[in-house]
Amino acid sequence: MTPNGAFAVGFILVALGVSAPGPRGAAVLVLVGLAFALVEVGGATLVALRRAALVVVPLAAFMGVVWVGIVGRSPSQIAADAVGTRSAALAYVAAISGRLFFIVAVVQVVFLRFAALTPLGFVRALALPAAVKRVLVVTLSLIETLRHAIDRAHTALIAAGTLTRAASLRNIVHFWRLIQAVWLSAITIVLGRIRDKWPVENTLARLDRALVAGTPQLFAGRDLLWLLVVLAAAAILLAERIGGEP
Amino acid sequence: MLTMPRLILIALGAALNCSIGTIVYLVKLPVFLDAIGTILVALLLAPDRKAAFLCSWAAGWIGLAVSGLINPFLPWFAMTDVAISLVCALLIVGSAKTFRARPLRGASFAAQVVLCGLVTGVVSAVVSAPVVVYLFGGVTGSGSALVVAIFLKAGQRLMSAAMFSGLASDPPDKILQVLFAALLYRATPGEFIALLRE
Repeated sequence: MTPNGAFAVGFILVALGVSAPGPRGAAVLVLVGLAFALVEVGGATLVALRRAALVVVPLAAFMGVVWVGIVGRSPSQIAADAVGTRSAALAYVAAISGRLFFIVAVVQVVFLRFAALTPLGFVRALALPAAVKRVLVVTLSLIETLRHAIDRAHTALIAAGTLTRAASLRNIVHFWRLIQAVWLSAITIVLGRIRDKWPVENTLARLDRALVAGTPQLFAGRDLLWLLVVLAAAAILLAERIGGEP
Repeated sequence: MLTMPRLILIALGAALNCSIGTIVYLVKLPVFLDAIGTILVALLLAPDRKAAFLCSWAAGWIGLAVSGLINPFLPWFAMTDVAISLVCALLIVGSAKTFRARPLRGASFAAQVVLCGLVTGVVSAVVSAPVVVYLFGGVTGSGSALVVAIFLKAGQRLMSAAMFSGLASDPPDKILQVLFAALLYRATPGEFIALLRE
């Protein structure tokens, strides 16, 4: 499977997930999503589900506090100006949380499918214009550079007594110094790279050669198969929405 | 328009958007500050509004695509980034001279930061509200959800509650972001800005 195919399949699944399908549509969607995960990432499906749970469970708990604990009725009851019930609010939270869980799990499966690729290999395999690929690679490189700059500046500012490790008023007053230190560090590094390092090492030409080597195909045969499956699922959801029966 | 230094600026803006999240997490601040890179890219390309819009938009979207690997909910706010880029090109770029003036003209600087931040905040709240309502059911993980709850408890409908909550919480955050972007713009070496205008 190509990254383009995985993104396309993931995108359609997520779009179907947010289209608020009925019970039958939701079941079809979960089945297709599970089949996609099991076939493409196998045992790593559990990793995807665990990561999705780590993201969504705290959010669901928070939504529960707000909707069930504070508001005490569902949006449809508020819109109808009806007497609210906490069970309706709980059902609403469950539906939203289920949808969010599905979205995060699909995104995780798509990325786990290519976990073995390096970031450069992943970007190279994408069917995107060369300029976009170049910007993506430079962005990933700069993020690493900035992370190192943040680590250094953060440690230095803590050592100097300007910031603290825990949340504090001092952090609110002085965190601006950390942002400025990181930015100035990044600008100095970028200027050095543009003016000296990259021209001497011929970095950008080499990067371009690396990115265009083995021009990636848009979709492989397996991608098309999965696309057919998810489009069939889309048709079932559409039929359910229009006629109530697939 | 998209010269090599500008492409690198786009990457730098995207990287800054992603990295400031790390800073906010490290120093445990109750704010988002997720568009400073987008605003700064536009300021650095002033007075060219077209380049400012395109480059800040690109920086915003690339930042969202990369951050989306960690937080899959962020890419849903892609239209908010387009709106912020538009406000940057139409309004904030016009304040670039004031932001970089030496010596600093305090009153004018503060007034323009507040005005630009307020407009950006209001636009961002209006554009984000449908996503907050439809995708998250009105409650994201941030503290502003409690404001939504108060409005809902008072009988407001979900969309208006999310909109009012956004209008209450976004402008202060965006004023801070414009302030930081303006201060970083002031601190940026002139030779880097000259490189972007070549």
